[in-house]
Amino acid sequence: MSRKRRQFFLELLRIVLVILIALILGFVITALVSEEPVEAYQELLTGPIPKISVGEDGLQMRGINRFGNWLEDSITLTLVGLAVAFVFKANQFSLGAEGQIYLGAMAAGIISLFVQAPLAVNISLALIAAAVVGFLWGLVPGILKAYVGADEIVSTLMLNVIAIQIYNLLLIHWLRDPTAGFIGTEFFSETAVLPVVIPGTRVTIALFLAVAAVIATWFVMARTPLGYEIRVIGANLKFAEYGGINTKRAIALSFAVSGLLAGLAGAQLATGLVKQLTLGISVGVGFEGIVVALLARNNPLAVPLAALFYGYLRTGAQIMERSSDVTREVVLIIQAIIILMVTAERLLPLIQAWWRKRRPVEEIISSAESREAADVL
Amino acid sequence: MPPIVEMKDIIKVYPNGVVANKHVDFSVEKGEIHALVGENGAGKSTLMKILYGLEQPTGGRILLNGQAIDIQNPQQAIDLGIGMVHQNFMLVPSFTIAQNIVLGREPRRGQFIDSVAAVRLTEELSREYGLVVDPAARVEATPVGMRQRVEILKTLYRGANLLILDEPTAVLTPQETRDLFQAVHRLVSQGKTVIFITHKLVEVKQISNRVTVMRHGEVTGDVETADVTEEEIAQMMVGRKVFLKIDKPTQPRGQAVAEIRNLSYISETGQPRLRDLSFNVYAGEILGIAGVEGNGQTSLGEVLSGLKPATTGKVMIRGESILGRGPRGVRQAGVAHIPEDRLTNGVALAATIAENLVVDRYYQPPFTRSGVMFPTQMRRQAERLMQEFDIRAAGYEAPIGSLSGGNMQKVVVAREFSSEPALLIAAQPTRGIDIGASEFVRRQLVEKRNEGKAVLLISADLAEIMSLADRIAVMYRGQITAIIENSAGLTEEELGLYMMGVKKQPAEELEQMA
Repeated sequence: MSRKRRQFFLELLRIVLVILIALILGFVITALVSEEPVEAYQELLTGPIPKISVGEDGLQMRGINRFGNWLEDSITLTLVGLAVAFVFKANQFSLGAEGQIYLGAMAAGIISLFVQAPLAVNISLALIAAAVVGFLWGLVPGILKAYVGADEIVSTLMLNVIAIQIYNLLLIHWLRDPTAGFIGTEFFSETAVLPVVIPGTRVTIALFLAVAAVIATWFVMARTPLGYEIRVIGANLKFAEYGGINTKRAIALSFAVSGLLAGLAGAQLATGLVKQLTLGISVGVGFEGIVVALLARNNPLAVPLAALFYGYLRTGAQIMERSSDVTREVVLIIQAIIILMVTAERLLPLIQAWWRKRRPVEEIISSAESREAADVL
Repeated sequence: MPPIVEMKDIIKVYPNGVVANKHVDFSVEKGEIHALVGENGAGKSTLMKILYGLEQPTGGRILLNGQAIDIQNPQQAIDLGIGMVHQNFMLVPSFTIAQNIVLGREPRRGQFIDSVAAVRLTEELSREYGLVVDPAARVEATPVGMRQRVEILKTLYRGANLLILDEPTAVLTPQETRDLFQAVHRLVSQGKTVIFITHKLVEVKQISNRVTVMRHGEVTGDVETADVTEEEIAQMMVGRKVFLKIDKPTQPRGQAVAEIRNLSYISETGQPRLRDLSFNVYAGEILGIAGVEGNGQTSLGEVLSGLKPATTGKVMIRGESILGRGPRGVRQAGVAHIPEDRLTNGVALAATIAENLVVDRYYQPPFTRSGVMFPTQMRRQAERLMQEFDIRAAGYEAPIGSLSGGNMQKVVVAREFSSEPALLIAAQPTRGIDIGASEFVRRQLVEKRNEGKAVLLISADLAEIMSLADRIAVMYRGQITAIIENSAGLTEEELGLYMMGVKKQPAEELEQMA
């Protein structure tokens, strides 16, 4: 156990160290393009935190909407991150979350537009519809991969195109509100949107949905036969076959469950944040989910932390863009550098190897021997 | 006269921190056949790679005929007269033998390669050292034994005085091994020196004058071969006493557990791998499948365990047909399988010991009840099996990849044996693992046989087959050429004739012995 704990702390230390290096690099770039780099960078780093001040009218909180933006974004990212982590765990590189988000949003949106029922029934139906559609849309590349051998990267990217165009087709030719000045549906009625839990923000009960999804995903992965099958397939497909696991079924299901979670993320976008269906409702959130999953090392319990980190960065970047002279392009570059640094798995091992090289040979031999001795114990 | 080669205080630390050689001293006299033995990971390959310029030592010096030298790459080693014959041959299959031998140093006539001279040079070399090859034959059309002779001739053509042979007998039949040994003696009589890497102790005694034993990156013995017994060498390799002989009580065999009839298998690429095999495996016996590697043994294991579909034929386990059932169906019929390729099939390196131990039973109670898995049960089983099978590891949470080859194999053995099979298929169960673990695995196999299980032992190690099996079936080109009782009078040479396809049992006799 102590070995495991040591590993965990090393990993944590690694991440903190790399984030620090990345932030320093980001500041260097900011300093190159900004007149007031310190102020601009401060917006990035502290923007999403609400400012509490004691004034004449007592306690005051400013920037609650910024804080809300952070949480809203993190909720969506958590759901998508779980979706990607689930299928990646089976060593299947599905890039289909984006399309599944669109169809999930569409399914939830249609329920919200056309079903007249009490709030609880209405939103339950919307969430279930999004989950089912996501599951089925995910099953398609899963079956293609498992039974026909279609490369999942190609098939999921193509299915994304199809899903987004189906969404556009339905929206433009059937669902749009002809009186609106842009392409979009009417706003959903009060009984068809997720209730807000933090006033002044768009943080809805999707927060609890995300927490439940984290726990459920962890449970499936760690405590069910399907989760075991997926982990073993991800570790060594040949071994899974040899052991008698029905690998085709498990691979197809890994795609489908991933689609289910992405579908829910689509429902959160439609019925929680936008409250209507619009063109381009998800601007690449499906791909941001890949970043979250990579940051979390595909561990469901780490996904919300990764989502909060990445959501913070995204929100901070937006605030920096709005309230400083740093342009959007530069903000995106800084964001990308930070992610690159964090996901560069070999970065720290390389530093360690370099460090080791500087130590004299005798020391290495003796430390290796003490390690061997420890292993025998 | 100084030794032909002297390696002093060699230290090698790989970039990942593994210490392969710790202060190794190694010297070889001119005209010697010097065996270098040690278990996998003992550091013998690293030491030879350093000598051949494939690796750079972290510390230490190398003297050649008393002169300090620095070997940066294999080309320099060759120029200094050091040649190495690798375990995996490095020949161009579509070239002729003569072309392969002169490759890179072709005799020329003007701007063109003089192929007549190449053939002549090959014939001269072949005659001089008694290594018979056919210069005009394409390498792909020649048997393994000849390819090896080509490799040796190649190094001689490049002027090698010191030859390093890396486990040269691993792929040879007994007859080919005997021929090789004769050739090695002839090389020495012509003034060459040979370093012979092996882990077969019988061969050490047969061929070498001196032997250096390595363990954990250190030299644990450097002795005249005549002064030590096989057991003593084994002890130096393992660090404790080892029993090489395994007692096997005679017992009557029971019912046929597995009945295989007219089994054929054609691979996905259209190669016939198994041709019309018929045999039984009986309760309480070990049936050994002998043969030179690549004669269908791998396919036999894969088809019987359900990993590959049979093309035609029947396989019955306790009267139940298992063909077309897939690995899980075969396992449920009572078959366990120690796979030939441990790293590919036998384990998932990134998964923990506990996870690796349940791959065939995770869906059953007590591991899963009402669709929920209980990791505590996995842990409990892992702790029990680790103790029972003496698996040395940091704990059940340790990833398999962190274990030694021997301990990894013990995990496989623990899983397969604990499933209480009726038929146990063990494919190359001791390949690449240390002597201690090999001894353990062999003992376990005999124990299962004594308990009345049927054991099918597929092994390229003839000595292993002869010491364990009750009956021996020999495979040659996908066919069974003989099924023989393993009696005291049976010799390796006789089996060798069947292994090479020179002899074949008549059909009636085969049927009778099935």
